Amino acid sequence: MSAKNDVLYGSLGLMVLKTLEALGPLHGYRLARRIEQISGDRLAMNQGTLYPALLRLEQAGWISSKWGSSETGRRVKVYSLTKAGQKQIAVQETDWQQATGIVARFFDIQEEPS
Amino acid sequence: MTRLRILLSRLREFVHGRSVDWDFREELTAHLEEATDEYVRQGMSPAEARRAALRSLGGIEQAREAHRDVRSFRWIEDVVRDVRFAVRSLGRSPAFTISTIATLTLAIGANTATFSLVDPLLFRDLPVRNPGSLVQVTWQYPGDPPLNQFAFEDFQRYRDNTTVFSDMVGLVPLVTTSPTGHESASAEVVTGNFFHALGVRPALGRLLDGNDDTPGAVATAVVSSRYWQTQFNGEARVLGAFVNITDSRLPQPLQATVVGVAEPGFSGVAVGRPPDVWLSANAIPTAMRARAGWALMARLKPGTSIDEARAEMRVFYQPTIDLLAQRDPQWRHVAVEVTSARAGLSTPVTDQFGGPLSMLMAVVVVLLLLACANIGGLLLARGVSRQREIALRLALGAGRVRVVRQLLTESLLLAAAGGVVGLVGARFGATVLMGIVSAGTRSPNAPPPLAIPLDARVLLFTVGVTVVATIIFGFAPAIAAYVSAPARPLRQVGGTQPRSPRILGNGLVVAQIAISLALLSVSQLYITHLGDLRHRNLGFDRDDVLLMAVNTPGTQGPEQMAALYAEVAVRLRALPGVESVASSGMTPMSGAAGSSFLRVEEFEEPSEDRSRVSLNPVSPNYFTTYGTPLLAGRDFVDTDRAQPRRVIVNQTLARQYFPDRDPVGRHVWLEGEHAPYEVVGVAGDAKYQDVRLAAPPTLYLFAPLSSGFSEISLRTSVHPTAVAADARRVLADVFGPESVGRVTTLAEQVDASIVPERLLAILAGFFGTVGALLAAIGLFGILAYTVARRTKEIGIRMALGAPRVRVIGMVALSGAWLVGAGFLLGAPAALWSTPLATRAVENPPASGPAPIVAAAAALVVTALIAIYVPTRRATRVEPVVALREE
Repeated sequence: MSAKNDVLYGSLGLMVLKTLEALGPLHGYRLARRIEQISGDRLAMNQGTLYPALLRLEQAGWISSKWGSSETGRRVKVYSLTKAGQKQIAVQETDWQQATGIVARFFDIQEEPS
Repeated sequence: MTRLRILLSRLREFVHGRSVDWDFREELTAHLEEATDEYVRQGMSPAEARRAALRSLGGIEQAREAHRDVRSFRWIEDVVRDVRFAVRSLGRSPAFTISTIATLTLAIGANTATFSLVDPLLFRDLPVRNPGSLVQVTWQYPGDPPLNQFAFEDFQRYRDNTTVFSDMVGLVPLVTTSPTGHESASAEVVTGNFFHALGVRPALGRLLDGNDDTPGAVATAVVSSRYWQTQFNGEARVLGAFVNITDSRLPQPLQATVVGVAEPGFSGVAVGRPPDVWLSANAIPTAMRARAGWALMARLKPGTSIDEARAEMRVFYQPTIDLLAQRDPQWRHVAVEVTSARAGLSTPVTDQFGGPLSMLMAVVVVLLLLACANIGGLLLARGVSRQREIALRLALGAGRVRVVRQLLTESLLLAAAGGVVGLVGARFGATVLMGIVSAGTRSPNAPPPLAIPLDARVLLFTVGVTVVATIIFGFAPAIAAYVSAPARPLRQVGGTQPRSPRILGNGLVVAQIAISLALLSVSQLYITHLGDLRHRNLGFDRDDVLLMAVNTPGTQGPEQMAALYAEVAVRLRALPGVESVASSGMTPMSGAAGSSFLRVEEFEEPSEDRSRVSLNPVSPNYFTTYGTPLLAGRDFVDTDRAQPRRVIVNQTLARQYFPDRDPVGRHVWLEGEHAPYEVVGVAGDAKYQDVRLAAPPTLYLFAPLSSGFSEISLRTSVHPTAVAADARRVLADVFGPESVGRVTTLAEQVDASIVPERLLAILAGFFGTVGALLAAIGLFGILAYTVARRTKEIGIRMALGAPRVRVIGMVALSGAWLVGAGFLLGAPAALWSTPLATRAVENPPASGPAPIVAAAAALVVTALIAIYVPTRRATRVEPVVALREE
């Protein structure tokens, strides 16, 4: 497929958590770019939508934020994974696997010989 | 857990809203700068890089908006903003706002006032254990109200032998108000199982129990918490104290020892008659215990129905009927009833006013519906004039739901204002209503006025009514706004408007006319009924008669009384303004003066028809004074004193006992007397105890003035109250000042006996009129709007030569259509509701189509006025002006 894909609804939170788990604390812009890069630049992310998602995760206590400075020395908010967030990844990963597994079965449907 | 954390952090962010917003602004700025740097590194010019960065972010404002949505309780901010906006927008049209709030105040206030009266009387459960299983037992003699009065030994028999009840208690309210108005603590004698059966707990000490009923046990009492607080300051010394209770039927006060205080909140089992003291049965003399009428209250065994209880009570009551029917066959028609007492025992107030007040409740609910339809129409019209504003807001990106919410906020604000003012007004209204109700209680021992507390239930009711009203009247404009297309109102200037609000508006007017037709029909019914009761066939002339009760010492013999009366009559007759004087044992509607079986010479009364005739001892000139015609024979004269065993009969009695014979000169015997009476005259029928009932067969005995209670009546040529002071002085002079009792006029006395009907007629009439006015205003509004909307069209028609008549016809027809549709819908509603309405009054009038026709006529007149004004305006349209108008 050539066109870029929209971010699947509800999956952005998991992407954020996994990225932070793999790469450690990141600020907003870096996080957005990393997610795009990890997807192989095949995700068309509206970067503005990242911030409400970050806020939701923070409200749930899965990530925390504090003011720090970027590589270029700008004052930025740096997000990092919390303990609760690590547990949440495990939960969400299982859920995701199950969900994709179910969908995958539908691609494997073959006509049963009757 | 997570949810709670989210809620808490949202709360924090909501409180710190502004600084969080600044933080985010800063974060976004940094994001954009980082992105721009990166694009520059990729070789873009700074300006290009900036644009690319913005593009990938997807808009700063959108990002901030989305962020704010997650962050805060956005709806709170929105509500605050909506309310502020609504206040401003309503403030811009004060006339609309004030009239709407006034209408709502009236409707909500009327509902609240009525509810605050109806609820404790009829709906509210007694604050005792499992009130749903409580029942009361009553019996009803033909023509009398139902009574809950039984002999003590009968109570014992039922309590010990019935199988349907788990408990049965008996109580006797004492008459603690003396004739002179002195009042002791109000008290009730109760059987020992009273508190236990109801599940009432003591606040102090103990409550009565079975041991208190043991013969010879000391007289004990339990006081109410309220009495304990007011009389004993809530102190423990109440235990062991003596209470003294006077009962006007007993020569000495009753005395009992207080053993306990009932829990707060329990104020007896009869609404509006909260006793201060409950006495054990031993507190009253044994003779009184046996003789008194005990009110019965019982608790059904679990799983027993009221029908089963009724069936068993009928079996148990049968011996009483058999016994009494031997003397009075009418007892064969007595039926025992078992009814729910979950709201408390019936009282004269609940008996007489239960029906009328429920009906009134229905009337005010209908009025509220009508008011809602009216306001809905007004809001809709307002919405139409605001269509451009709303369309503009939609076009600028406001969500439809947001706009609808804004409109609903406006409606709710109006309703809330109406609710608050209505609540205040309801306090006043309920007091007035209560005054009317108390004044009209026929019982000689009228209960004290009901306390009408403003409690949580009433408040809840008002809030509920307000919210429901908002939903009803806010619905139409909200729908209209929801379906409106933004482009059209913006494009068009003048010309026609979208169809949907117009259809809704017409529908609301039709609904108003239909509802007010039904409402007016019902009120018309009550007004006609009241008129009938007041003036038709009373059998006496109610105007210009003064009534005075006298209580003469019982020591004087008939001779002395006759001499005293002769003196009084002469002196009263000499007063200026007095035309005639009479005395009687009873005056119309004041209660009975006794009754007796009658035996008539040469007439055999079929035994199953045997019934009592009403008696009234009267002096000469009684019939003259009351304006009751003598149809045959003569009136009593003073010289009848020499041979006083003479009577006058009324027409009904004559017809019943002297069929096809002339009663005059014949002899009759009262039951238990040997000497006969000679009939000297036949008088016209006159109402006796109750204006609602036909005149009973009545026997007038000759008695110038009997010792004890009697009534003196004066026919006056001036207003009767003008001679009251003089007449009172004469009576006080002859009998002593202590002997003169209540002084009133005959008209007042008759009116006081039909207060339920007056209450209904006055209030239903008032609300009906208000409803009709609202409907007329609604009709006027929609027609005026139609004319304004079609001004241009009318101008064109007239310019093209349409005659004025055609234009008039066009507008009038659109009004007539609405009225016609309203009548079509309203007539079945009225036909259905008028028979229902007649149930609220005793001895109801026949419900025919007459009230509906009268209501329709009244509405047509009102509608014609409402149609006339806009029609006139339409004919005044100047074609040139209309065409030039944009």
